[in-house]
Amino acid sequence: MNLKKIFAVSKWEFIERVKTKTFIVSLILTPLILIIFTILPTFLAETGSRAIETIGLIDTSGVYLPLMREKLEKFRLPDGQPNYILLNLSGKNTPIEDLIADADSKILEGRLEGYIMIYHINEDSLMLEYRSKKSGSLYDIQRFEEAFNEIRFSLKLTERGIDPEIVELISRNINIRQIKIEEAGKETNVNFFATFFSSIVFLMLLMMMIIYSGGMLIRSLVEEKSSRLIEILISSCTPYELIAGKILGLGALGITQIIIWALVSLTLVSSSLIPPQIFNNILPILVYFLLGFIFYTSIFVGVGSIVTSEQEAQMITTYLSLILIFPVVFAITIFDNPNSSLINILMYIPLTLPSVMILRLNITPVNIWEILITITIMVLSIYITILLSAKIFRIGILSYGKRPSVKELLMWLKMK
Amino acid sequence: MLAVENLRKEFNNVVAVDNLSFKIEEGKIFGILGPNGAGKTTTIRTILNIIKPTSGFIGFDSKPITDEFFNIIGYLPEERGLYKKSRVIDIILYFAQLKNIPRIKAAEAADFWLRKLEILSYRNKKIDELSKGNQQKVQFIISVIHDPKLLILDEPFSGYDPINQQIIKEMIMDFEDSGKVIVLSTHQMETAEKLCSEILLINKGKEVCSGTISQIKKRYGKNHIKIEFEGDGAFLNSLPFVRHIDNYKNYAEIELKDDTMPHEFLKAVVDKINITQFSVIEPTLNKIFIDVIKESKN
Repeated sequence: MNLKKIFAVSKWEFIERVKTKTFIVSLILTPLILIIFTILPTFLAETGSRAIETIGLIDTSGVYLPLMREKLEKFRLPDGQPNYILLNLSGKNTPIEDLIADADSKILEGRLEGYIMIYHINEDSLMLEYRSKKSGSLYDIQRFEEAFNEIRFSLKLTERGIDPEIVELISRNINIRQIKIEEAGKETNVNFFATFFSSIVFLMLLMMMIIYSGGMLIRSLVEEKSSRLIEILISSCTPYELIAGKILGLGALGITQIIIWALVSLTLVSSSLIPPQIFNNILPILVYFLLGFIFYTSIFVGVGSIVTSEQEAQMITTYLSLILIFPVVFAITIFDNPNSSLINILMYIPLTLPSVMILRLNITPVNIWEILITITIMVLSIYITILLSAKIFRIGILSYGKRPSVKELLMWLKMK
Repeated sequence: MLAVENLRKEFNNVVAVDNLSFKIEEGKIFGILGPNGAGKTTTIRTILNIIKPTSGFIGFDSKPITDEFFNIIGYLPEERGLYKKSRVIDIILYFAQLKNIPRIKAAEAADFWLRKLEILSYRNKKIDELSKGNQQKVQFIISVIHDPKLLILDEPFSGYDPINQQIIKEMIMDFEDSGKVIVLSTHQMETAEKLCSEILLINKGKEVCSGTISQIKKRYGKNHIKIEFEGDGAFLNSLPFVRHIDNYKNYAEIELKDDTMPHEFLKAVVDKINITQFSVIEPTLNKIFIDVIKESKN
């Protein structure tokens, strides 16, 4: 092995790829997708409406109006303005049909976002409606419903002579806070969406990187083969040096991408646009990420030397990377039961190992020996794959025309 | 000196090259000729150590060719192509680096060759901005940038216009003078005839004939004459020592039987027709090529 030549090949592969438009596009596009996946749900879930909304209220009992106003006033927009302005649409002596007709027309004119109607049918039964032009935001409706029910709850209890202080005490909602125990003394707040999306995002990134670089690798091999440049290359260095250089070059490209993305994410975390717990297990995740990337790249070297056209290359890269994200199908299972037997099998198959581990790491504590075993498996598989790929490569790159049969491939592998 | 001894290469029990032997001295151009599929490329690839021979020996300066020879071999494959999106100078430097040429020296050599082949102005252009002929010049530069001792050129003239063919031809002759061992594989018999000091004609992996151009011409040269005349030349067709004749009205090309000398023919016809021109023609390599291949088919 001539290290100088390996370096020359990897440098060439790296620089020629970095310069391409596709690389720059993927560099920007991928974090963009990451941002859409992580920030958007946070945004949508937490902020609700962004502008002051005028909401009407028809209350045939007249009891709820002040209390509702008080409750809804607590919701503020980020700039401190109230989120809702509550407009009283009730009239003591007007029949309810007229009230509704009047309110409806206000909505159609656009003067109201919507209105809440509290209609007493009799002492024990009551109807609650929210009427608006478009079906209202789930978030708003949830708030109205909660506010109403809290009021009703405390009204009913007070009616029965219960101390208002006690009512206040028991009506206070307590939400469950999820804590994940990873090691003694260390607790992590679990944000389901954050963990779910971060794991999926890592996998998507890995898959995109593999499709993209793998595709690039195969395309360059097809180009070198069809232009016979490959003959000049392997009359200048051994096939093994060429492969090692190509894999190293692409590896360096992958690392460059990861570093740039890491910097982008760090800025996003520091500006608290994405939750920092996404990066709790970042180190082992990166290791699996890189190992998975190199593993697939070395498969592609072998595959790339036997395909005959770019279309064929595209197809094979896509299918292979589908195997990689296959475990995502079981993502929910992994969340439900990170130690199920299926997961335990997929965890040790090199094709799916990286994705299973990336998914698991964020969800469940993983034993150090599991990490060690899986990393060893990956390193060994990479080594074996490179050896096999090199054998196929050495002969494949010189056979033009038709694709070899499985029998021929086996013969190539046996050749010295 | 490049020595090939009893080279044999089989692919899946099909013999591509069968028992070839030849030697090429420094400062000589050796032509490997043959029809398509004769085994030229396979022979070249085994010399390049790209594929291993089934049996036989290939040596350079009496050492077997191994990976150490990478840096002294220059190779121009028959089918041309380069990384289309890369810059001319980057590609040249990359391949120079693969031949272990230090970057500064490679850059100097690159500029020298670009100037010599009159494409210096394309130095920083991308390959796909170049014409096909200029792309081939870049590829030619790649094959010689490291000043190889052994230069293997597969159809070096295809794709060039006559002016550029001349430039490349002169360059190859310069390499000959500077003492390189040059292997030239071509279909262009005319070029081979002018350039090569020795040729090897192969068909179906086997040697058909070999030697210097004059040896081959002597061996396969037949008694060919050409006459222009006035008068009725019909009797020429039935002369006993004519083996083959292409008789036109005032012009004929005649192949004489082996033991007949041209002047005997002249004596026999000089009284019957008025000869305006008479000449003995040497067979072209092209003619020999076609004849010999046809013969070996039968």
